[in-house]
Amino acid sequence: MIILPLANILVRSSETTGIEVFKRLLNDPVTQKIFQNTVAIGLSVGAVGTLIGFLLAYAQTRLQFRGKKLLHIICLVPLISPPFAFATAVIVLFGRSGMITSDLLGMRPTLYGYPGLLIVLTTSFFPVAYMNLLGMMKNLDPSLDEAAASLGSSKFRVFRKVTFPMLIPGIASSFLLLFVEAIADLANPLVIGGDFTVLSSRAYIAINGEYDVPAGAAYSAILLVPGMLVFLVQRYWGQKNNVVTVTGKPSGQVNYVKNPLAKFALLIIPVLTAAFIVLVYLTVIFGGFIKILGVNNTFTLDWFRYIFSGIGNEAIFKTTLMALIATPLAGILGMILAWLIVRKLKRGRELVDVLGMLGIAVPGTVLGIGYAITFNHVLKWGDTSILPQLAGGGAIFGGATAVIMIYVIRSSPAGQRSGVAALQQINPAIDEASSSLGASGFRTFRKITLPLIKGALLTGLMFAFARSMTTLSAIIFITTPDTPILTSKILAEVDSGRYGASFAFCNILIVLVLTVMGIINLLVRGKSEKVQLAPQT
Amino acid sequence: MTTATGSTSSRLQLNNLTKDFGQKGESITAVDNVTLTIEPGEFITLLGPSGCGKTTTLRMIAGFETPTSGEILLDESDVSRLTPDKRPMGMVFQSYALFPHMSVYENVAYGLKTNKTPNDQIKREVAEVLSIMSLEMLANRAPNQLSGGQQQRVALARAMVMKPKVLLFDEPLSNLDAKLRAQMRIEIRQLQQRLGITSIFVTHDQDEAMSISDRIVVMRNAKIEQVGTPAEIYLRPKSVFVADFVGRSNFLKVSGIKSTGNGRAQVTLNGKEIEVGASADAISSSSALLLVRPESIKVEKSSSTVASDGFTEGKVSQVVFYGEHVEYTIETQSGELIAVVSNPVYEEIVPVGSVAKYSFDQNRAWLVSSDK
Repeated sequence: MIILPLANILVRSSETTGIEVFKRLLNDPVTQKIFQNTVAIGLSVGAVGTLIGFLLAYAQTRLQFRGKKLLHIICLVPLISPPFAFATAVIVLFGRSGMITSDLLGMRPTLYGYPGLLIVLTTSFFPVAYMNLLGMMKNLDPSLDEAAASLGSSKFRVFRKVTFPMLIPGIASSFLLLFVEAIADLANPLVIGGDFTVLSSRAYIAINGEYDVPAGAAYSAILLVPGMLVFLVQRYWGQKNNVVTVTGKPSGQVNYVKNPLAKFALLIIPVLTAAFIVLVYLTVIFGGFIKILGVNNTFTLDWFRYIFSGIGNEAIFKTTLMALIATPLAGILGMILAWLIVRKLKRGRELVDVLGMLGIAVPGTVLGIGYAITFNHVLKWGDTSILPQLAGGGAIFGGATAVIMIYVIRSSPAGQRSGVAALQQINPAIDEASSSLGASGFRTFRKITLPLIKGALLTGLMFAFARSMTTLSAIIFITTPDTPILTSKILAEVDSGRYGASFAFCNILIVLVLTVMGIINLLVRGKSEKVQLAPQT
Repeated sequence: MTTATGSTSSRLQLNNLTKDFGQKGESITAVDNVTLTIEPGEFITLLGPSGCGKTTTLRMIAGFETPTSGEILLDESDVSRLTPDKRPMGMVFQSYALFPHMSVYENVAYGLKTNKTPNDQIKREVAEVLSIMSLEMLANRAPNQLSGGQQQRVALARAMVMKPKVLLFDEPLSNLDAKLRAQMRIEIRQLQQRLGITSIFVTHDQDEAMSISDRIVVMRNAKIEQVGTPAEIYLRPKSVFVADFVGRSNFLKVSGIKSTGNGRAQVTLNGKEIEVGASADAISSSSALLLVRPESIKVEKSSSTVASDGFTEGKVSQVVFYGEHVEYTIETQSGELIAVVSNPVYEEIVPVGSVAKYSFDQNRAWLVSSDK
């Protein structure tokens, strides 16, 4: 499901126009510039995003202040939002005729290109680094700090010599994660990239604008290289991480930073970030109810009327339906893979793990192009067809199969990762106890394992739904008239300058995601309540 | 033999049981050709240092590991290829392994529900076992609301409610504090005797093994080193390894070992010939050592200020006072000796640096083979 499309990309990129792209990479300054742009944006988003994520995680674990919880929640919001809600809102606020830059400050900055892209991508992806580092810093044993302090180290010295070195793997892995996310993103470069072309947007133009599939495949093949490299390096780091994170339950008292000046300095960036997120989201929310934000600020429901009367309806319904089909599949696939990796497989668990994680390691653009060129015709082995056409117009179910497949592949790794983490926490003796009490392997999985990894399943399901609803880069290449995708509709609205409509779309999307997350939460939690009830004796 | 719960005690036989853990040609033998018969209703302890194969042996009996060769006979029928859920055995784990998402009641009822026991019977049997274990009041608690000792009891109740033919214990007391450990081992022993369930207990704690078992199996490097009652293991160990593993030991060099029949031997110690009890291995081996337990050595104050006779006198280099006993370290011609004097008299405690007279009764010495 993943390997085949990737192999196809390599095959197609070796056709004439594809080879030309590779050649141009070596001698054509324009193509080289695209490559440099991609790397530059990846590096800078990685660095800035990791720094912000680190400051936030540090504030959460080592500072005491009011609104700590609120700050945490605000910083997680970008995880569930459609990718270009940000880009669009930033243009409206800070663009050439932005509400703040132009109307308030009288400036006319050029936001399109590198600076805008950096701002937008960093804000969209820093939560990944934040969550990653927060988890690590919570696991750091405060008694280590205490030990160092009791040996006479100053607070800063403790941080520099003890805390920081232990966080290096986490910082490195955050940086790499952001790097891959940034170079793989397609929506934002399209909306706010301007002349600043990156590989993913170049591949999109090659396929959707120039109809040059081999060239598109070649661009995405180039994109695949750093992506896979980072994935492998990250796995290596990840394994080293274990030394730090599995030291057991933290003991001792966290040594909070009390110096008001230091506190202020440490909090300034996190608070600004949170304020920025709030501002942007308010723009998105209100933007849907206002005629033209910043120009004609009158309340209106026209945008919603426009959406509900037109094709919006169908897109909303079908996207939600496909995401709802994909969500349980992804959740269960993730759990089964996790169970195989941790419990069942003695050999090849590494391989299964890597294959499962490929779904997010491969940039979405690459996966989407791979699917488009692999499944847009009947798949044949010799003369016998083994798979009907799954993607594109005229495919079975109007191409919905391929969309759902991508949803599943893109979102099961989150469930797999949380499932693996949860299973590793469960003592294998618990499974053995069940089997020594006469339970078969299946009964053990159903009655013991599954209830215990419920939390991971929940995370997996919620993430799967949110991810499916908001993904664009992988889907945009296989969406068909029969399978209108909400995110690509939003992009179309942005492209045609109807920001209000796109904001309204985003509002609907956010409401849908939150509603379904709430329902999933109720369903999974509700079941557990029944299990918890002890019978009367 | 019929037990209190109505089940019949079973005989368990291990025949040439072997387990190799191997990858790519390199294999480690964890259990090497172990043969052992556990009589119905017997309480057997597998004792040994970590890595000696005791846990692997237990896990093969339970069915969590498949033997590389050999067989496990439960009442004459080979169970070694059955999966754990098909074996009539109950297991108590080191970590207790209680199901964290179930109440105490549900934990204990789990096995009965699995084998589709009628509901009213489940209620009756669970209630009965909970009352035996004094757990009635805790039936609706979650495992994380219980103390370690209580969790231990639930784990035992959960295994016992299934009326297993064999009960297996994998270091079940090692997570408890010393006081509770002593109490629990008495409880387990009493319960086992009352119900007459054949039991196998794995531990690396010699006190636990001595106080709980009918017989102890000392394991070393994947093999059985010695099988015997606690008294045999302690007082008549086969080798230096066994003697050292159970209790503390002084080993004295002797020469001129000659068998005098009846499991006794004549040896020369410090130029004097004495007759002592000896293990069969020690008699046949060329290098044997004389085991004298610290509590077998008598210590008295000496009037001399210099240890004139190094074989009966020595300088006290350390004195540790424990209340009920005093422990001396004495430097002698035969090396450092440890002596424990129980029920000490204040005036007779020998201070550090002074000379002590020491002696032991040759009936309390035992010749062991020194083969490592």
